[in-house]
Amino acid sequence: MRIKAFAERNIKELLRDPLSYLFCLGFPVVMLVLMTIINKSIPPQAGMTVFRIDNLCAGITVFGLTFLMLFAALLTSKDRTSSFLMRLYASPMTAVDFIAGYYIPLIILAVIQCVITFGVSFVIAVIEGVSLNVGNILLAIVTLIPSIIMFIGFGLFFGGMFSQNAAPGLCSAIISAASILGGIWMDVDAIGGAIETICKVLPFYHSVNAARCAVDGNVGDGVTSILIVSAYMVVVTVLAIVVFRKNMSSDNK
Amino acid sequence: MEAIAIKALTKKYKDFTAVDALDLTIGKGELFGLLGVNGAGKTTTIKMLSCLSKPTSGKAEVMGFDIVEKSDEVKKVISISTQETAVAPNLTVRENLEFIAKVYGIENPKAAADKIIAEFSLQEKENSRTKTLSGGWQRKVSIAMALITSPQVLFLDEPTLGLDVLARRELWKVIEQLKSKMTIILTTHYLEEAEALCDRIAIMTHGKLRAVGTADELMKLAGKDNFEDAFVEIAERSGN
Ligand SMILES: Nc1ncnc2c1ncn2[C@@H]1O[C@H](COP(=O)(O)OP(=O)(O)O)[C@@H](O)[C@H]1O
Ligand SMILES: [Mg+2]
Repeated sequence: MRIKAFAERNIKELLRDPLSYLFCLGFPVVMLVLMTIINKSIPPQAGMTVFRIDNLCAGITVFGLTFLMLFAALLTSKDRTSSFLMRLYASPMTAVDFIAGYYIPLIILAVIQCVITFGVSFVIAVIEGVSLNVGNILLAIVTLIPSIIMFIGFGLFFGGMFSQNAAPGLCSAIISAASILGGIWMDVDAIGGAIETICKVLPFYHSVNAARCAVDGNVGDGVTSILIVSAYMVVVTVLAIVVFRKNMSSDNK
Repeated sequence: MEAIAIKALTKKYKDFTAVDALDLTIGKGELFGLLGVNGAGKTTTIKMLSCLSKPTSGKAEVMGFDIVEKSDEVKKVISISTQETAVAPNLTVRENLEFIAKVYGIENPKAAADKIIAEFSLQEKENSRTKTLSGGWQRKVSIAMALITSPQVLFLDEPTLGLDVLARRELWKVIEQLKSKMTIILTTHYLEEAEALCDRIAIMTHGKLRAVGTADELMKLAGKDNFEDAFVEIAERSGN
């Protein structure tokens, strides 16, 4: 009951901010269309296929998830400064109620967002005559579940740790890191050297890689990536919960 | 049993003592005022009593429940209207009220919201997003949210802070109607507010309780014939 009430409130709070529509749903779609257009202008002889829809869709979906992280951070940091949370801390709400109440709506939004991004990708694939398998797409969404929880965890952690002004900045840093080092716009495996190592130590490349393998019909190749992301997911989730529990006492402000 | 029993309640932030060995009992149904200038320790006291902050030492019971050991029980019977307005900005007035009712497990949240909307004359704005309302309206909603749970003990931390004269008077009327239905602890730094509303008043300075009594008793104690002079006398006598 309390979890449901809080989750409902959070989903309303998120969806009534028109910016979240724009970024979480619109932005990945715009990127897909834009990149497809760019892809069309690349001569086939260049042999550059990163922007082809079957390669692009996984990366853009992960890119979309990073925006959800930003909104998770904005929601929690705003809640903390508005003393709305203080009222709830003095209510029968428990730490579990709070955490579940934040996670559940964000996870639902994330899944909807993945479905929309992949759905649009599928339409583009049909138009472009590229083959995309629906079963593989569904599998790709499943491989993204640890990433979804991880990105939301990052958002709740930053929102719980930092102010309404600092949290979005830190999220932007993660968004940049994820898009540059995540192999969304480039083929990380072809880079080599220190940059490739950094990419592969951080979870973002693995989020994209797991989904990309699934889209290609080789979900097995992405298992290591799924495990790496899952490890990050566990660490980030624990950190988010610890920070939240700490915030519940106003002594720790 | 008293509604609130406080013994040597102390809160220290590092070396700074925000609340210093507070002793106080508040009876059931009393409208009790904590009066003091900014920084006196009123909010800190309220935070400890509402389980938002742990005392450094001392004890307190709310409706017979220890605020540290039995905080889950305390949280069920209290409600707080914090010093700053505490509303969910993107929810409508009605949604805010029903949300709080659900959090406290109230059977019929809709009916509870209907009732409180009528009591606070919020009908005109019930479907407006709370963030679009004026400061005065938001504060009214914030206090209505504290009341929808039918608490046994209500904490009102500076309920009229930042309100214009008319809004303040209107809120006074609302608070007066609550008198004796529940125990209310109201903090304020407005002397006339404490004098007008409260059954008994405690004067706090520098974290210490300086005097407790009705407004008349405090004036007698200070040997003054108006409340403001009495407050100044008591505050200065204690080395403020
Ligand atoms: N978290 C905190 N850390 C350090 N000092 C604090 C903290 N909270 C309050 N104080 C200090 O404690 C004193 C009492 O504050 P407060 O209880 O808010 O006073 P009031 O509500 O009467 O204005 C103030 O000097 C304030 O600066
Ligand atoms: Mg205060």
